[in-house]
Amino acid sequence: MSQTLAIVALTVQEALRRKLVAAFMGVSVALVVLSAWGFDRLSHSRSLSSGEVGAAVPQALVLFMFMFSFVVALSASTIASPAISAEIESGVLQSVATRPLHRAQILLGKWLGLGGVLTAYAAAVCALEFVVVDVVSGYTPPDPAGAFGYLLAEGLVLLTVGMLLSTRLSALATGVVAVALFGAAWLAGVVGTLGADFHVPALRQVDSVARYILPTDGLWHGTIYALEPRTIVANAIGHLSPFYASGPPGWAYLVWCGVWVLAALTASLVAFQRREL
Amino acid sequence: MSLGSWADPGAPGAEAVPGIAPGSPAAQAAPGPLPPPDAARPPPGSARSPAVHTLELAKSYRRTVALRGLSMTVARGEVFGFLGPNGAGKTTTVKLLLGLARPTGGEAMVLGAPAGHVESRRRVGYLPELFRFQHWLTAREVLTLHARLLQLPRRDRATADALATVGLAGRADTKVGTFSKGMQQRLGLAVALVGDPELVVLDEPTSALDPVGRHEVRAIVRSLRDRGATVFLNTHLLEEAEQVCDRVTVIDRGKAIATGTLEELLGQRTSVRLRVRGLPDGWWRAHADLGAWSVEGEWLRLAGAPPESVPELVAMVVGRGGRVDAVVPEHQTLEDRFLELLGAR
Ligand SMILES: Nc1ncnc2c1ncn2[C@@H]1O[C@H](COP(=O)(O)OP(=O)(O)OP(=O)(O)O)[C@@H](O)[C@H]1O
Ligand SMILES: [Mg+2]
Repeated sequence: MSQTLAIVALTVQEALRRKLVAAFMGVSVALVVLSAWGFDRLSHSRSLSSGEVGAAVPQALVLFMFMFSFVVALSASTIASPAISAEIESGVLQSVATRPLHRAQILLGKWLGLGGVLTAYAAAVCALEFVVVDVVSGYTPPDPAGAFGYLLAEGLVLLTVGMLLSTRLSALATGVVAVALFGAAWLAGVVGTLGADFHVPALRQVDSVARYILPTDGLWHGTIYALEPRTIVANAIGHLSPFYASGPPGWAYLVWCGVWVLAALTASLVAFQRREL
Repeated sequence: MSLGSWADPGAPGAEAVPGIAPGSPAAQAAPGPLPPPDAARPPPGSARSPAVHTLELAKSYRRTVALRGLSMTVARGEVFGFLGPNGAGKTTTVKLLLGLARPTGGEAMVLGAPAGHVESRRRVGYLPELFRFQHWLTAREVLTLHARLLQLPRRDRATADALATVGLAGRADTKVGTFSKGMQQRLGLAVALVGDPELVVLDEPTSALDPVGRHEVRAIVRSLRDRGATVFLNTHLLEEAEQVCDRVTVIDRGKAIATGTLEELLGQRTSVRLRVRGLPDGWWRAHADLGAWSVEGEWLRLAGAPPESVPELVAMVVGRGGRVDAVVPEHQTLEDRFLELLGAR
């Protein structure tokens, strides 16, 4: 246990010392500041009625969070990508792996450390953005904690994908593949929406399969639902848009996401244990 | 071959490692100083189990065979040299012993437990051939990390001791990323020493060190032996082996080709060179019982004569009425022997 904690601490220390967190935090704060300006312009626009502003602000928030979810996905796969292979190649892992701890402890310690860093980062940026939007345009999403939770879950799924890939691939390849998978999952969600809009069952099928294979887009829809005003949902306004969710992910789906992460972690462990250092 | 603990690479039975492989012709024909096969395999986990014991250990990669049936025993408390040319399989062996890689055949025991056993790794220190550490940490932080992973009770003390031993106390709070290669290797040595392990495995510990550093490493190895630790030293520096090792195994192309103490490897390979005047040519033919004589210009060489025989030899020449200008007892160097062994392959 204390050994796993030592790996957690080492991982957090690495993220902080290597200025990864600082870099992502800097970019994100700059984006929040830009969004503050945007929300201010939007809320005080003379060409829009107050009703239009009331509909536009939540949509703009969803768009901002979509962009931020991309940054979270990118940061999750970036911090996870050098976790295993790169450390084997550089030789750093050899000294650690010959200490009296199991490889599972190394893997779990890294996952917990990176997960903790991701959580703190996502929480900070979400809180900042929600406060900014509230102050500037007076809009509070119905479920800010939920929006953060789904966004974080999405990030953790990608973190796990990154760790799994990193047991086999180089850091660069891991990052590229993880982000590509994330993009593909989002695209599958869009295709599914189009399929629903135009009543093409085959396209709808793409989404309902893809959301189980890589549950990032399913979780992203949870974020959307937690951000949009309930009036939009009640009137099904914007149901044609890929930035609209008609309801939260069900419990069964969330359980599936948990199982998915556990399975991916187990697969990472098996892959790591088989590797020769 | 005259030496019991040596395998003649050309002889039948050379496939078996001398003195260790139980039941092999070489082991039975070899009454050498190594313990008999049974004594080399005490029950696992016992305190008297050898530090390292391997039996027909084999490792193949996809296309290369790195180890082909390595059997050896390293006793507790000895400084064991593992010598071999590049690509012989030294690093591969060490990785198998530490559980970094899995063997494709045979077995290996370390401190009485199967190689790579998690708990027994608590008593093993390891300096990898490729020594790299978290460059964003300071030297002290790297050692503290290892002290935590070892769950040592007095971490600060253990850390400071290890740093002082390798001469890095003055740079303890410098980032590892700014260290020179030799300083990084010293740090690696400190990592291998922290927590006073029973077995210290060093894979070419002086590859990046200057002559002073090499000298210091030898002193460290000797002090490890003094406190009863076992040292497994991978090297291709023969003088290093000659200076610190109690026993060595020479490995080539994944097989042990010789094992023994340095005296066993070289002891009977001494000769005495003489320059004698006042005796008729060929006078020495009457003394063939002393060893193999040969003429080298003005010098006579008596191969196989131990250095202790020099006074006797001189008395004999004088007794016959001759005069001795010079006597030079000669040891074959480990390098000569090493090259001879590898040349015979
Ligand atoms: N990961 C690997 N994949 C394929 N072959 C390998 C691998 N590691 C080692 N080998 C091969 O195994 C053989 C033994 O290599 P090893 O590193 O054990 O040699 P060594 O005795 O340590 O040599 P050196 O003195 O150069 O360090 C070599 O032929 C090498 O090419
Ligand atoms: Mg090597």
